[in-house]
Amino acid sequence: MLRHHVKQLLRRLNLQESWVVFFVLGNVMLNFPFLKIFNQPTTIFGFPLMYLYFTIGWAVSIGVIYLFVTSRETDPFEQQHDDQEQL
Amino acid sequence: MTLDILYVAAVGIGYTGFLFLVAWYARKRANQGRSLVSNPYVYSLSIAVYCTSWTFYGSVGKAATSGIDFLLIYLGPSLTAFSWFYILRRIIRISKDNNVSSIADFISLRYGNSQLLGSLVTLIAVLGVMPYIALQIKAVVTSFTLISGVTHRTILLPGADAAVSVPTGLTLALILSIFGVIFGARRLPSAERHEGLIAAVAFESIIKLVSLVGVGIFVTWFMFDGFGDILHQFQTRFPELFERLFTLHQEQDTGFIPSSTMLLLSMGAIILLPRQFHVLVVENADLKHIGKAMWLFPTYLFLINLFIMPIALAGILYYGGNTGADYYVISLPLSAGNSSIALLAFLGGLSAAAGMVMIESVAISTMLLNNLFMPIIVRITPKQWFPVLLINLKRLAIFMVVFLGYFYYRTVGDTFMLVNMGLISFLAAIQFLPALLGGLYWQRGNKAGAITGMLLGFLVWFYTLLLPSFFTADPDSTIIQQGLFGQSLLKPTALFGLTGMDMWSHALFWSMLFNIGAYLVCSLILPQGEVEKEQVRRFIGKFEVERRKEKIEAKRLSKPVTIPQFIALMGKFIGPGEAQKAMAGYLKERHLESQTLVPEFELPAMKRFVERTLAGSVGAAAAGAIMDSYLSDMGSRMESVYDIFSTVRASLDQSREALYVRLKASEIINRTLDLQTIMDELLQLLLKEFKLDAALIQIRSSSDEPLTVQSYQGTDRRPITPEHWHQENDPYIRMAMIDQETHFVNDIKNLEDIIAMPKTAAEGFVSFAHIPIFREGEESLGVLSVYSRTIVGLFTEEFIGLLSSLTGQLAQAARIVSEMQAKDRERKEKEQAQLTNARVKRDMEIAEQIQLSLLPDKPPELFGVELAGRCWPAAHVGGDYYDFFKRDDHTIDLLIADVSGHSVGAALIMAEVRTLLRAHAGNAASPSGILNTLNSMLYEDLTRAELFITMFYARYSTATGRLSYANAGHNKPLLHRFGQQSCQELDAEGMILGIKPSMVFEECAINLKMGDTLLFYTDGIPEAASTHGDFLGIDAVCQHLGDQSSLPADALADSFHDLVNRYTSSSTPQDDISLVVMKIVA
Repeated sequence: MLRHHVKQLLRRLNLQESWVVFFVLGNVMLNFPFLKIFNQPTTIFGFPLMYLYFTIGWAVSIGVIYLFVTSRETDPFEQQHDDQEQL
Repeated sequence: MTLDILYVAAVGIGYTGFLFLVAWYARKRANQGRSLVSNPYVYSLSIAVYCTSWTFYGSVGKAATSGIDFLLIYLGPSLTAFSWFYILRRIIRISKDNNVSSIADFISLRYGNSQLLGSLVTLIAVLGVMPYIALQIKAVVTSFTLISGVTHRTILLPGADAAVSVPTGLTLALILSIFGVIFGARRLPSAERHEGLIAAVAFESIIKLVSLVGVGIFVTWFMFDGFGDILHQFQTRFPELFERLFTLHQEQDTGFIPSSTMLLLSMGAIILLPRQFHVLVVENADLKHIGKAMWLFPTYLFLINLFIMPIALAGILYYGGNTGADYYVISLPLSAGNSSIALLAFLGGLSAAAGMVMIESVAISTMLLNNLFMPIIVRITPKQWFPVLLINLKRLAIFMVVFLGYFYYRTVGDTFMLVNMGLISFLAAIQFLPALLGGLYWQRGNKAGAITGMLLGFLVWFYTLLLPSFFTADPDSTIIQQGLFGQSLLKPTALFGLTGMDMWSHALFWSMLFNIGAYLVCSLILPQGEVEKEQVRRFIGKFEVERRKEKIEAKRLSKPVTIPQFIALMGKFIGPGEAQKAMAGYLKERHLESQTLVPEFELPAMKRFVERTLAGSVGAAAAGAIMDSYLSDMGSRMESVYDIFSTVRASLDQSREALYVRLKASEIINRTLDLQTIMDELLQLLLKEFKLDAALIQIRSSSDEPLTVQSYQGTDRRPITPEHWHQENDPYIRMAMIDQETHFVNDIKNLEDIIAMPKTAAEGFVSFAHIPIFREGEESLGVLSVYSRTIVGLFTEEFIGLLSSLTGQLAQAARIVSEMQAKDRERKEKEQAQLTNARVKRDMEIAEQIQLSLLPDKPPELFGVELAGRCWPAAHVGGDYYDFFKRDDHTIDLLIADVSGHSVGAALIMAEVRTLLRAHAGNAASPSGILNTLNSMLYEDLTRAELFITMFYARYSTATGRLSYANAGHNKPLLHRFGQQSCQELDAEGMILGIKPSMVFEECAINLKMGDTLLFYTDGIPEAASTHGDFLGIDAVCQHLGDQSSLPADALADSFHDLVNRYTSSSTPQDDISLVVMKIVA
């Protein structure tokens, strides 16, 4: 049930705008103010904070792309619709 | 420890052999149509050519020296993947449509096929990629040195007397060049996909990943006790370094500028580096693959970077410092004594370098060939050996690219870290960014801006990065220390006094400032060229244009080019076979016949196709130049189509003026039904609205009659004689009639000798068109011919379309007029017929009246006899007849006759019979004698009229009560004796009148008594049919006579009418009914 809702939400969000938002968000998170927050010599369970931030953030971003791309691929109609929208 | 050099070389060669096998197999599969490569996984792996020996060796070095910021080089591309759905897709679509073969092609295409721009991009790419290739050579050479222990760059070959000096770097450069030639320059068309090359690169990507992860696992879990252990040990042993490596340290006060620079550079590099553009765009098999690649490629980057940090930290722990950190990947397993892992690492590094060099050299050699060599070559007249020359030039270019890298490696290789060499290339590549993005999304961006921006950016890059890199070995040189000409403001690393930035950010800032600034300023100030504007429509308005299926050409060729000429041109560059194949495919796609002449409106599209095909081999800019010079050699050129309304059209849609002409035409057509007026006014309208000088309409009235000129309008009209110039056009007109296509000539000078038209040309006409007049699916009615004296190329697709629609309307009008005329005629005929019919009917009614009046209106009075005669005709006139003649007071003659048929003829014969009988009534002849006389008198008339008569003639004398009678084949009268039930038929021998000229009739006699009733009748009574088709019959008539015999004669006669009506259930008789009743009353 939850899976279904997530899929629906993803499909609704699957617009050109979403990709732009992610792109901009990624850029913001890899630039000055955000980096400053994590730029501490602290460790969590022995792992440096900055290292965790990059690694986990990266994995999450790949997960997001994966979810969006697959939700788009499962719906041929949506895909067609988006094709027109993209271009 | 080290491994034996021969062993390492053998493994390396074996691995190379295996790569060839992979490539060969992929190519074989591709030829069979079962591509091994055409799927998103291989596509993603091929994009991973991004990970070179920089990643493989250099990342560890960077991680060990400056720390975590090495990740930004991979986070950038991963982030860019978010934009692939819109930017990359768009680039690929445009590239596929235009056979783009490199990034130089792509950018020069957008800015009006500019050769200068293409050359500039190529120059930047060649110089920019130089450090990058040097990096690969350095990495492999160093790793080879490490693993084999050969440090002096000479190899002692076994069996040789002395050490033979073989520079490993040079050997490697040679091997890599050969790699590139074999994989990438087998065939000329470079916009095609190289399946073998991609298969090899994808395979190498797998090896890279397996190798680096393998080394990572070995170091982390076999040399140490997991990553946690490494971190813990490191933190305790180097607490200060730990802190520095895991934070973005801010040397001086640069803030986060270095990290942002790194991010931006890597984001640009993933698409702008020539080899990345090649694998992402040129080698893309299907747009759908982008979706999966968007997460597969970042996953690859993530995995390959997972063990970089552990290896770096482990190296520092193991060696106690970060010297030689660039080669930890190979030196750590070697130091730990695990030769197989070390060999795996070596192969991984070799894969990383080889893959990069192969793709890069292919991409750059294509650019070199298309954008630097071709502009020179196209100035030479094409020769048969061109394809061979071109492919060998391309191979030469590959060697050139690799050896430029080798030269750079020899010059500065030892002084630079791997990563730093790579970043110089990144900075060169990012100079393409403004022109590329601007070209995709900004309409105003123009050629001047792109060239100026890129040139300035390139110069800044050269001055602030490449130049200083040559002097790193000699940091005290004057130019680095004091700047050019001793001007401190021009100090390369602190341009215009800008200090406090790292060298990358410094170079990025200045180059982008000049690049973007010049691009914007020039684009805003200077206008775009004609070709450029068209390309902008294709790049930016591309997808709107595509939706409009029928695009009206805005250009025409002033002199037509034939298909064989096009094929010959293509053949000179791509080989005759390829050219034939390409053209055949194109013709099939456009549904054109190769035998016939190409329709004029198809030519611009075909020209574009040829240009595109050439672009696939020689690049867009060169293809454009080749085409231009070819056309000008032929004396032809592309010119704007003549605007028939001589107004600027805002859109490609039908113009307001065309609409106006159509409206006027339909007004003319609807105003009148006179075809002549319609044609005259239509021609006058055409002459008035367009630059036409003569116009004719020829129409034929039916399909087997010749065409005749119906309307002729123009400046100097003269009678159409056989000598008239217009007659020359007859072949065109006949063709137009038959194939129902418009036939036109846009320039009379282009006519061949076979269809020369000297008179028409002498009249000064330069262009003309013949448009058939027909309705869809019907035969042509005629042809509209229009001639112009002034405009060459007047007949555009749009104008022909307009004229055709007008002739269509005219055909419709002609059809309506002829239909109206036919209807009119039909109506008149109908009226006439009705009139005739009515007259005949009235005549017949009169005839009926007359005929009825010929019958006795009442029977004569005679004592002792009651008589009644009746006649109910079926048609207006009939052949039935009865009559009475009173001879004296005691004797009466009565007769009943039936002339065959119900025609007027029968009625006339009946009248004749009556006349004859009346004439001879006074004769004392017996009934048989009368019949005899009648027969001989009527025989000829009856024979001629093909009629005959039946007649019963009787004579009754009241004095004697004797009835004598004779019968000429008539129905036998019925006698009902008083008081009896049955009837008696009166019979006498005798044949029908009119059969033979002379006949004998039997005469019989019978005595009648009081109360006897005699019925004379015609066949209408017994042969009256019921609804079932049964006849009434004699018996029923006889029965009725007996039953009703007590009635007076008149009533009895009428009762038979009722009998017949009852029996037939109808009030109108089927046949004439006549009867005579005779009753003996005394």
